[in-house]
Amino acid sequence: MKIAADRILGIALIGLATLAAFNASQFEVMFSYEPVGPKAFPILLATILAGLSLALVFRPGENGEWPDKHVVLRLLAVLAVLLVYAMLFTRLGFMITTFFAVLFLARLFEATWQKALVAGVLMSVGSYYLFTLGLGISLPTGLWLPKFN
Amino acid sequence: MFDFLIQGFDVALTPLNLGLAFMGALLGTLFGALPGIGPINGIAILMPLAYTLGLPAESALILLAGVYTGAEYGGRMSSILLNVPGDAGAVMTTLDGYPLAKKGLAGPALGLSAISSFVGATIAIIGLTLFAPMLAEVAVLFGPAEFFGLMVFAFASMSVMMGNDPVKTGIGAVLGVLVAMVGVDSGTGVMRYTLDMPELYDGVDFVVMIIGLFAISEILLMLEHAHSKKAEDEMPPVSRVMVHIKEVMYCKWAMLRSSIIGFIVGVLPGTGASVASAVAYTTEKRLSDKDNTFGTGDMRGLAAPEAGNNAAAVGSFVPMLTLGIPGSGTTAVLLGALMLYNITPGPMMFTERPEVAGGLIASLYIGNIVLLLLNLPLAGLFAKVLTIPRWALVPGIAILAFVGVYQLHSSLTAIYMMLLIGVVGYALRKLGFSLAPIILGYVLGGLMEDNLRRALSISGGDMGILWQSGISIGLWIAAALLLLMPLIMTKLLPGKSLTHT
Repeated sequence: MKIAADRILGIALIGLATLAAFNASQFEVMFSYEPVGPKAFPILLATILAGLSLALVFRPGENGEWPDKHVVLRLLAVLAVLLVYAMLFTRLGFMITTFFAVLFLARLFEATWQKALVAGVLMSVGSYYLFTLGLGISLPTGLWLPKFN
Repeated sequence: MFDFLIQGFDVALTPLNLGLAFMGALLGTLFGALPGIGPINGIAILMPLAYTLGLPAESALILLAGVYTGAEYGGRMSSILLNVPGDAGAVMTTLDGYPLAKKGLAGPALGLSAISSFVGATIAIIGLTLFAPMLAEVAVLFGPAEFFGLMVFAFASMSVMMGNDPVKTGIGAVLGVLVAMVGVDSGTGVMRYTLDMPELYDGVDFVVMIIGLFAISEILLMLEHAHSKKAEDEMPPVSRVMVHIKEVMYCKWAMLRSSIIGFIVGVLPGTGASVASAVAYTTEKRLSDKDNTFGTGDMRGLAAPEAGNNAAAVGSFVPMLTLGIPGSGTTAVLLGALMLYNITPGPMMFTERPEVAGGLIASLYIGNIVLLLLNLPLAGLFAKVLTIPRWALVPGIAILAFVGVYQLHSSLTAIYMMLLIGVVGYALRKLGFSLAPIILGYVLGGLMEDNLRRALSISGGDMGILWQSGISIGLWIAAALLLLMPLIMTKLLPGKSLTHT
């Protein structure tokens, strides 16, 4: 299992190297003032990458422990929270989205509902004022509310 | 000769910069103490803020350098108290630090390690002051061909010294360089790997890259340890933090030797605190472990890696400030931070921007004293940081990451890219890659190509220019020797691996 992961990675990286080299070969310049041009270095890199990846396929190394199914599910949940946080960040504004993001992240890291709620309120309101008033960073207030300041 | 230092103290002693050095030391110690958040993460999280606040270059650098050296102090806390290294540089500290804490000597262990850290950093700062201007004078002779050779040497030294798997270190570095290729080619205006996205015309943003790679992947990684152990239950009580002068004197040779070793290892490009503490510990064990007490709570076994890793952290500023080649992953991030200010560190910095180079060095002297003063009396308080639960820590990191990236261009694309890079970073870490080579490749990649193309423009395309001067030949030979070293070492010492990172 562990060895297979490195082999698959090696093959995927060889694919990436091929793609990178092919893409680089399409970089066309009308007129060049210098002998090297934009192609040569990426192609050189792709060649080195392919060589090293080949070494990985034949002599796979050690991997870390892979997470079990339970952890994978929570991993996906954390990613989902972060993704939704990003999608709604400007639309709903910093405070609301941060509150929910902190609430769900804290829950996913095994806080009780009570603690998660407190953390959500404190962190969203606290960081909003710290960033805007304290550090002068402008944060999205949300498009659905009339601007309050 | 030391004009730059006098000018530097003028810069570092302004109230703003003194305050920033203090803040950096404090935040750095906290970041270092938090498990999983080492110097790189701390700097990655704070850098966009320093940039937004409109701090001048030297002030931003003073803050971030304070975080760096502070994190090396803080990293020892969880090593000693919980047997969990706070960052890679503190791994060796667990070997004798934790047994000491088990014996009920947690307080003296914290005190002694603070003093060792101070000694290591002080010796290295003096080394930096003496050698950096000298090296800068030599580096003025470097042309594009020599710089290209130097970067090849840096990558060679990194593949051998960093991580357990040279192949993966190499792959990581090449991937980093490839990411640096993205964007409009400055020489010809050709778009490279931009996937027709206007956001990529300027390349992958540095802040997006490091926050994604370090902060986001760390959040994902923390999920696995969410319920591993409760810090409160396991932490031994911290009684007296003061150490006896006798205990310090007992370790003085271990400290001195390790500081010098750490400084030298730190100066080598590509190798940082983790390698230095390993080399310092094994050397000290070989030299002074007469009664086999190392590993069972020997004070010298604690002093050696702590002096070593702090000396290396400072030592890695030498190549960064004089050659523009970072000595470690963390200085690579600092180099990137300087580039955001349109300052390219290199031999000219000591003459052209003495306030930056000198200010930084002067602030290291100040920060180091601040760190000792903070760490001796407040060690018990900092140790409380270890009990911060992850459910509070993780959302905090997430907020800082989002705000840091969002305020760059007020763009959501940057946030999506950060998340994507974070997932890739997580996968690579799971596959046994270390992130430092990736960031080094990413920071050095553009410079490497520029220097290669400039050299070949000078020679009209003749590759011979790359190994024409004595300096370049020396660098190529050194790089080749380094790459061959593991082969030679395995012949000489069968069955023993060199270093663990």
